[in-house]
Amino acid sequence: MEAIWLYQFRLIVIGDSTVGKSCLIRRFTEGRFAQVSDPTVGVDFFSRLVEIEPGKRIKLQIWDTAGQERFRSITRAYYRNSVGGLLLFDITNRRSFQNVHEWLEEARSHVQPHSIVFLLVGHKCDLDAQRQVSQQEAEKLAAAYGMRYVETSARDAINVERAFTELTRDIFELVKRGDITIQEGWEGVKSGFVPNVVHSSEEVTKSDRRCLC
Amino acid sequence: MTEMSPAMLALSALPVQSAPGWKLFGKVPLRESPPKDSKTIQQEYEAKASKGGSSPSQSAQGRRKNLEFEPLSTTALILEDRPANLPAKSEEEAQRHRQEYDEMVAEAKKREMKEAQKKKQQMKDRFRQEESIANAMVVWNSEILPNWESMRGTRRVRDLWWQGLPPNVRGKVWSLAIGNELNITSGITMEHRRQIVKSSLDLIKLDISRTFPSLFIFQKGGPYHDLLHSVLGAYTCYRPDVGYVQGMSFIAAVLILNLEEADAFIAFANLLNKPCQMAFFRVDHELMLKYFAAFEVFFEENLPKLFSHFQSSNLTPDLYLIDWIFTLYSKSLPLDVACRVWDVFCRDGEEFLFRTGLGILRLYEEVLLGMDFIHIAQFLTRLPDDVSADRLFSCIACTQMTSSNRKWTQVFSSLMKDKEMDKSSNSSPKNS
Repeated sequence: MEAIWLYQFRLIVIGDSTVGKSCLIRRFTEGRFAQVSDPTVGVDFFSRLVEIEPGKRIKLQIWDTAGQERFRSITRAYYRNSVGGLLLFDITNRRSFQNVHEWLEEARSHVQPHSIVFLLVGHKCDLDAQRQVSQQEAEKLAAAYGMRYVETSARDAINVERAFTELTRDIFELVKRGDITIQEGWEGVKSGFVPNVVHSSEEVTKSDRRCLC
Repeated sequence: MTEMSPAMLALSALPVQSAPGWKLFGKVPLRESPPKDSKTIQQEYEAKASKGGSSPSQSAQGRRKNLEFEPLSTTALILEDRPANLPAKSEEEAQRHRQEYDEMVAEAKKREMKEAQKKKQQMKDRFRQEESIANAMVVWNSEILPNWESMRGTRRVRDLWWQGLPPNVRGKVWSLAIGNELNITSGITMEHRRQIVKSSLDLIKLDISRTFPSLFIFQKGGPYHDLLHSVLGAYTCYRPDVGYVQGMSFIAAVLILNLEEADAFIAFANLLNKPCQMAFFRVDHELMLKYFAAFEVFFEENLPKLFSHFQSSNLTPDLYLIDWIFTLYSKSLPLDVACRVWDVFCRDGEEFLFRTGLGILRLYEEVLLGMDFIHIAQFLTRLPDDVSADRLFSCIACTQMTSSNRKWTQVFSSLMKDKEMDKSSNSSPKNS
C-alpha cells in the first residue's frame, strides 16, 4: 500500500516543446532514459516519493505539460493548484531560453492568489559542445527572478535527483515556516498519512524514526 | 546417440546413475534425428543398463508396457527400486510408489491433453477469425461498396461495421464515411509543398520521429517519414489558421497506414474539419469545456459510482479526455484497437469518441474505484497495452448514450444554449 509521507506537493513542469520535460521526469520517476518519447498532448502524470531528510518523505505529484504554445490555454488552468514548478529550457536552444521570461509571466498571471516556487532548469547539459546559453547567463536570469538554477541531463543522469530534491526542500522549508499553508480547495500541498500531523521541526525530529516502515 | 538434455548430462555425472532401477523420462530437445518419445529413451536406457550387468525390474517393465502414454513435458527422475547397496522397498511401499507414479502420469496426461485442446481451440478461433475477415471482405467489396449510399445506413451494414472493418477495405470505408465536404481535388500539390509555413516545420520535424516510435516507420529514413511530413506540412499550408498542433501527427499516421497518399490528405483535412476536432485543434477552451460537460452528463448516467469517486478525487475529464480526443485514441489504445474505434467513429461521428471513453471507464471501473487521484490520472493517460478489443467493445455496447431521453446532440446543444448562463463551466450540469 501507500508509503507514509508527510506532505504531498504538486509540481508542474513547463517549458518549450522538445526541451525534454517528459524525459527529465521519466529519468526521475522511472530511473531510465527513453531515446524517444511521445509528444505530450495536454498533460501527463507522474509521482514519486522523495526523502528529504531521514524518515521525512514527501510525495511528489508531477504534472507534465504539453510545450506547444497552442496548449497554453489548457495548461494555464493547471498552474493554480501547483505549489512548485520546474521551468525547463534546452541549453542548446537559445530560443527556449529566451522564452523563459514569457513562461514565468504566464505562470505568475494565472496562479493568483497563490504563488509557485520555481526552479530554472538548463536541460541537456550533456550536449555541452552545442551549448547556446552559458551557465553564468542562466544563473543571472534565475537570480533576477529569485530562482535557483540547475543544469541537468536526463540522458547522463546529471543533477536530476538534485533538481527535484532541492525544489522539494525549498518548498518544505516554506511550509515549515508557515509561508505556504495547506488550504481547503487547493491541491498544491496536502498533508500526508502521518499518525499525528506535525509542523514544527522539533516534533518532526522526534517522530521521524517511526515513519520508516 | 541421443542428444542429452542438460538435466541428463548432470545426471550422468552422478554415481547413482549406474545403479539399476532409475527411470528417466523427459523432454529431449528435438534435433535432426526423428523425435524420440520418452518411452524409447527409457527403453534404450534400460537396455543399456541391463547390458551393464544389472537387470532392470521385469515386473516394472511389463507394467509400463500397459501405459500407452508417457508424458513428454516432465523432466524428472523416478526411483523404481532402491539402488543395490540399500535395503529393498517393502511390498506396500513399492505399491504405493507405483500408485503415486501412475497418478503423476495420469495428471500429466490430463494437463497435456488440456493444453493440446487449448491450442486446438486457439487455432480454430484464428481460422474462424480469418475466415470471417475474408467473408466480410467479400461482402464489403462486392455488395456494400458498390452500393455505398443506399446501403451504408442499413442495419446489416451497421452491424458488420461494428464488428470491425477488414483491414483491406478499412481505408476505403473511412474515406467514404469521412467524405470530402471541403472538395479537395488534388491531394498534396506542389503548391502546398512549397508554401509550407516555416515556423511549424521545425516542430513537425521533431514530432514525426516521436510518432509511433516503436513502429520504426515514421522515423528519419523510415518508409513513411517523408509522407507524414508532407501531409502535416501540406495541412499547415492548407489551413494556416489551424496550423500544426501536437497530436495531429498521430491522426495523420493512422490515416497513412490505411490510405493512399492523396486520399490520406483529403481524409485528414476533412476529418479535422469536423466540429469536435476543430474545437480541439483550435484549442477553443470554452467549447472544449462544453464537450467535457456533455461527457459528464453521460458519465454520471452510465457509471454513477465511478462518477462520484472521480468527483470526490477532483478528477476532471479534461485530464484524460484531452489526450484521447486529440489523438482519437491512437496514442492511448493499442493500434489495432484504436483502428476499430476509428471504424465506428466514422460510422457514428463524434458521439462515439465519448462513448468509447465511457466504455474504457466501464471496462476498468473496478480497478479505478480502488485508486486515488494520481493513480487514476496515470492509469488513464497510459492505458494497459493488453486492452482487448472485444471486451472494450462489449463495454461500449453497454454504454447508453441517452440521458433523460435526450441524445448526445441534444444534451450538447442544450449546453451550448446555456453558454451565457453557465458561469461555472467546470461543474457538471444537472439534468434530472
